[in-house]
Amino acid sequence: MKKTPYAELLAMLSRHRGVVGSFVVSERDGLAVDSNVQIGVHSDAVAALAASLHRKARLACGAAGSGTVTFLRLDAERGGICAAGRDDLVLVTISEARANLGLLRVEMMRAAKALT
Amino acid sequence: MADEIRRLSDDLARDPSSLVFMPLADALRRAGQLDVAMRVALRGLDRHPYVADAHDVLARIHADRGDLEQAADEWEMALRLDPTHAQASLGLGFVDFRRGNLESAERRLSAAGDADMPGVATALAHVRAALGSRSGNGATHDPVAPNVASMPPVAEPRMPPPPMPEIARLAIPEIPAPQPARAKQLFTTALDGAEQNALLVDADGLVLAGMYTDPTGTDVAEVVAAELAGVSSEAERAMRHLGLGAWTSLLVEADEAVVAMTPAPLGSLLVVASSRETPVGLVRLLLDRALTRARDWLARVS
Repeated sequence: MKKTPYAELLAMLSRHRGVVGSFVVSERDGLAVDSNVQIGVHSDAVAALAASLHRKARLACGAAGSGTVTFLRLDAERGGICAAGRDDLVLVTISEARANLGLLRVEMMRAAKALT
Repeated sequence: MADEIRRLSDDLARDPSSLVFMPLADALRRAGQLDVAMRVALRGLDRHPYVADAHDVLARIHADRGDLEQAADEWEMALRLDPTHAQASLGLGFVDFRRGNLESAERRLSAAGDADMPGVATALAHVRAALGSRSGNGATHDPVAPNVASMPPVAEPRMPPPPMPEIARLAIPEIPAPQPARAKQLFTTALDGAEQNALLVDADGLVLAGMYTDPTGTDVAEVVAAELAGVSSEAERAMRHLGLGAWTSLLVEADEAVVAMTPAPLGSLLVVASSRETPVGLVRLLLDRALTRARDWLARVS
């Protein structure tokens, strides 16, 4: 399989403690452009849902005059999802509770700027 | 006064569902702590919306803040719940007097009934003198300037009122419907500043309670709610796919705002937004506070 321009970026994010997967997804159709996930993670379904959540957040913030969404974090009892987007692409990570979310946030926002 | 407030606060902390919030709010009002008094009164009214005395206390706080319109609304509500509520009649008489409606003020004060009640006789005498002055010399009477301070906005509080027995609650002939204005203001006292918004949205993206304004002050609650329709179910599905447990919060950072969301009862979604300068930890704290308010309110209206 041919490597996409995001393979290195995703591999770097997946090396973070507690991160079990990362992918780049199109916000428009919810399809994963590239992914780096551990076995057993339902990446396609999660990618589509993460893209939809990002889209809703973007539209709501637009309607409220709050500007562009820079980062999104969905927390659950044992982990969560982080997302940072640019244009139509959204960078998503899935993490367990032990992940360092502060560090992950900084890395993702920096990486999202490079999405094209 | 400080001892009284401390004692009442302790009592309320021991039993948050008690009616002790009324004497506490009134003591805070008399001590000049109007913002805190307002919070205590509103929180108490969330639990006891049909207690006339509670509306009377809130009306006094509004009056002390100079908001006569809101004060009149609350006193009218108190009278709807208890048509013999003398303090509410007296309060409305005060409002009428301040607005220059001297005839109406006279009627209200007379309706307060007990001329021996502290303040009533003085207030009546003052209003009648003003009426006489108006009809006697034809001069325009300024209803606000003369000795308004001598007319107490309400008589000394008869606090604490007796707890409302359940039978009396049943005897209320007509339970007021949920008030749209109150639903809009549901989170006002749970927030920390004017630049914050809180909104309760149902599963279909319709506004249940709260307000959301954009930086220009335009009401955008309905459109924001519509855009967020389905967020709760999508978050739930994502977490189910991942086996990470129930979702607890969704935090969105934007250029100009931090928006926090959390699932609320009946499949609804609670949204709290604040300016970008607000620390994220504080936004989450406000979200927790607003969630408590939303839960109580939904339990009551649903």
